[in-house]
Amino acid sequence: MLNALSAEALKMRTHKATWFLVWLYPILFTILFLIAITVGLFGGDPPEQSTLADWIDETAMIWNVPGNSVGRYLMAAFVAVVFAGEYGWNTWKLIVPHRARAALIASKYVLVLILFTVTFILTGLISIIGTWADDTLTGDTIPAGITAAGLLRAHWIGYVAALGPILVTMAYASLAAILTRSTIAALVIAIVVTTIEQIVFNLGPVLSINFPAVTHFLYNLLPGYHLGNLDSWLSEGSAYRGEFPSGRVVALPWTTSLGVVAAWIAALVTATFAAFKRQDIN
Amino acid sequence: MNDTGAPVLELADLSKTYGRRGKGVAAVQGVSLSVGAGEVYGFLGPNGAGKSTTIRMLIGLITPTSGEARLFGEDLRANPHVLRRVGSLVDGGNFYPFLSGRRNLEVLARTQGHGAERIDALLDQVGLAGSGRRKVKGYSTGMRQRLGVAAALLGDPDLVILDEPVNGLDVAGIQEMRDLIRSLATDHGKTVFLSSHLLHEVQQVCDRVAIISKGEIVRESTIEDLLRQDDGLRIEAGPSDVAEAALASRWAVERDGDALIVRATRAEAPEVVRRLVGAGADLFRLAPEQRNLEEVFLSITQEGTPDA
Repeated sequence: MLNALSAEALKMRTHKATWFLVWLYPILFTILFLIAITVGLFGGDPPEQSTLADWIDETAMIWNVPGNSVGRYLMAAFVAVVFAGEYGWNTWKLIVPHRARAALIASKYVLVLILFTVTFILTGLISIIGTWADDTLTGDTIPAGITAAGLLRAHWIGYVAALGPILVTMAYASLAAILTRSTIAALVIAIVVTTIEQIVFNLGPVLSINFPAVTHFLYNLLPGYHLGNLDSWLSEGSAYRGEFPSGRVVALPWTTSLGVVAAWIAALVTATFAAFKRQDIN
Repeated sequence: MNDTGAPVLELADLSKTYGRRGKGVAAVQGVSLSVGAGEVYGFLGPNGAGKSTTIRMLIGLITPTSGEARLFGEDLRANPHVLRRVGSLVDGGNFYPFLSGRRNLEVLARTQGHGAERIDALLDQVGLAGSGRRKVKGYSTGMRQRLGVAAALLGDPDLVILDEPVNGLDVAGIQEMRDLIRSLATDHGKTVFLSSHLLHEVQQVCDRVAIISKGEIVRESTIEDLLRQDDGLRIEAGPSDVAEAALASRWAVERDGDALIVRATRAEAPEVVRRLVGAGADLFRLAPEQRNLEEVFLSITQEGTPDA
């Protein structure tokens, strides 16, 4: 397994998709902070005063990306390249005879998760340094009471909250990639499924006016509400309240949402392993 | 045979049907063959005969519908790890186009759990020492083919499976490949299973061959036997109708211009002469007719086809 992971890392580390879809975030944040500092230095804006909570939240904003639809589309694109690229390059024939199929798929999941984790942590570090540098150089006041433990806690909660959307997106795109054997098709399917999931979550109460039973069923079934609910429990300490015009309120315990999300991930990942194990590579 | 006495490669009634059973398309039907240690075994067949499907089943890319593939005495389905003793080149070498040739071999070495120490020597062996650091997307077909051979040899395998290994190579490259394939068996004790449509190449490097047509093995033998089986006698006799009638009752007779090709063995030549004389035909010439592998191959694979 470690050999397969090492091979996967060697293969993908210089691929353009890794630069554009993974290392994009630290590069983009570095550029944004440089622009912000430059504007702050020469723009003549009056000094600003942030609260402690706002300052820490600002450094942890990268963790909102994985839960955001656009962020998930970008992650899905990378997963599609990693899993379906082997079909496009016709390279499964090169590696499948030498390693168990399950190990090859597992190594792809592990590599993608490691890369996303590293890039978001790196971007978080850049955010902390960039925010501090911006305030220091432009004369903004850095609130008192910032500690390493406080920063670590905020980023840890951000990471845990981001894990759900990352894993669900990986599961959608990887299964689509193995079934369609096409990077583009996998990406399109992952985008469509993610969008439907987000529409049901965000517009569920509106849709329920015309389709109450179906909407309510999907609202509880799809991962969208449960990812939002887990995020709410982590950040607010309470359930996300999905309030419907009919008066129904969906506010589930975090354990229920964790179970539903875990079941979705397990089912999709298991289907990916099973589909690849049975697949003929012509 | 390998050190356990079992054949290195054994296919028993191997079949593959695509699509639903009943309405499916049979790509390979009941293929059985056996390859011993140190042999160079040729797998011949026209396009679409089932060669590639068979090879893909051999290296675990395709699951057989029925039958069994055994490598080194182990059932491939029960013990796929046995493929670690196999090196393969399929489809002319498919590599990650965005990586260099050397980096591709590094990826493969890591996948196999090996170190990278053999890579430079292999690149040198296949004539890519100077191009190893170039990206594969800039390689010619022949260079990819050479890299494919290096990839097949990377794990120092006991069995090397090569699918059309000389495709895309120039004349000098074909000669080098021929020498390499022979040396794998004679100098390194490896078993080689190769498919090719270049019959001349097969004739020069293989100990035995199987001919596959329409998914079925139609002949398996040594090259020598294959050619001998189809030996015949070329006869020039007249009147040709009389001569043909005298011989056709016992042997298969074909007309080739003014001559008759009689599917009789050398030992039967006196009997051929007696029959011609007995029928009142004049015999002008009788000589052994030896077909080359290409003619044998064509006659075997075209048997039974409507336009043959």
